[in-house]
Amino acid sequence: MVAAHVESAQDPGAALAAIRILGADTFAPVVLAGAPLHPEDAAAIALAFSALPPGRDVPLPPPAGPEGPWLMAWRDWGTVTLLTVLTGRGGARLTAPRPALPADAAPADDAAGWAEWSVRMGQLSTLALPGLDGPVHDAARRSPLALARGATRAVLRRDYPTAARIARWLAWLRSDGVRLPLDAGPLVEHIGLLAGGDRPALDTAISRRLIAL
Amino acid sequence: MAMPATEAAHRIASQALTWLHTQREHGALPPDTTAELAEPDSVYKPLGETALAASLVLREGVAGSAELRLARELLDFCWKQLGGGAMLHERLLRYPMMTDPLETYAHFARCDYRHEALDRLLAHTTSLRSARAAEVLPNRRLAVANAARIGGFDQGGLATDWAALSRATWLGACPEPWLIDWMTAYCMTHTVFHLTDWGRLPSGLPGDVAQYLTRWLPAWIDIWAEIGEWDLVAELLIVSNCLAEPRRDPVAWERLAGIQHEDGLMPRDGRPVGDDPAERFAAHHHTTVVAAVAGTLAVSRALGARS
Repeated sequence: MVAAHVESAQDPGAALAAIRILGADTFAPVVLAGAPLHPEDAAAIALAFSALPPGRDVPLPPPAGPEGPWLMAWRDWGTVTLLTVLTGRGGARLTAPRPALPADAAPADDAAGWAEWSVRMGQLSTLALPGLDGPVHDAARRSPLALARGATRAVLRRDYPTAARIARWLAWLRSDGVRLPLDAGPLVEHIGLLAGGDRPALDTAISRRLIAL
Repeated sequence: MAMPATEAAHRIASQALTWLHTQREHGALPPDTTAELAEPDSVYKPLGETALAASLVLREGVAGSAELRLARELLDFCWKQLGGGAMLHERLLRYPMMTDPLETYAHFARCDYRHEALDRLLAHTTSLRSARAAEVLPNRRLAVANAARIGGFDQGGLATDWAALSRATWLGACPEPWLIDWMTAYCMTHTVFHLTDWGRLPSGLPGDVAQYLTRWLPAWIDIWAEIGEWDLVAELLIVSNCLAEPRRDPVAWERLAGIQHEDGLMPRDGRPVGDDPAERFAAHHHTTVVAAVAGTLAVSRALGARS
């Protein structure tokens, strides 16, 4: 599906860039719905990295460095890591260094800073997939209340794209067996029904699958 | 509580009380007022709210001697406006099913201002099955129950089933925290005020409700502070201080301190505040009362006066 999309795209460069932006979510049908990963698709994803190579330096986490490149580095890490998991060690030769987390990686469960932190976690929602685990996931495990407050805040502010991203972490935590301070099911359904746009639709579809696991 | 937040709370309460005292004549009843009180919400309700703030300052006893004197004078002023309770008595005689005479009286009874004939009449009306059968919102039923508790009208066979009353409210259901609107938030704050008698009885909150509030108050304070709903934010800060483990909320206190006017007026929202003294009083009296109560309770809980 991925390879076919790149080949049929009017602008193959843009299609390859879209794969990088979509990140590990490219594999969502594989890890959540049992779809096969075709070798051509894996090759298309590898091509997205060789055609648009990431910078050599690992970006510093904010506030030491800008947020954008750091978020992109995490997305790349997720994509490469999941590709390696799915194709086996010998398959892809891609590597992506794992970025560092900021010093305030996860607020203690009732500390200040939950609002900003939860928004940033939402920007990393593409990592909330089975098969990926690391410091970002550990941070989510440490602060389910901060994520639940962040999702609550986003819904009440009618910022549904952010709500869908943060709620996806709650759905992932639930699939990971973490006790949550709220029921993620109705929250995900609510956001899915009230949100518009492709990205919230994707996050919600993934959340529903995670909850069903 | 971190000292800066307590200092902000103290300053806010002190200035709000000063404003209520300075502006008190705007709350005076018109000379021709009778117990009919054609417009109870516009004239009579603010007197009760001022009395509430003053009575809580006196109850907590954490203010300085100057503020305690202002609170005492305010309570005396309000009591005198109500004819030493005679107007409440007369109103209840005419409207025996109305609850506002009891609810207003409670703020005075809290500080031992009593009216004998009103006491006798209330002992009768509150004992009737009618008093518990009236069709009101669940949080309003709690308001009446708390007023009866303060006045001592809930003795013997009239004991309140607090658990049943709290379960009937929105808050008692611990609903999805991401679905709450402005009006529901006010229902929620008032449920807490009455269950705990304005922070006097933190144990009046069921355990799961207290946990629920601890979890979600930060999100609610954040969103209503963002859109400048200062009246509601100040009420939420009261709720924070009605918990067995009070919340600190230093950011919200700093923001409230920043928007309070020099003369002590606390703006109800983010819209411009006019210059006309009567309009200022009508629009911002309630929020200034809430600020005085919130600041008083925050200081009191920080000092551990009521742990």
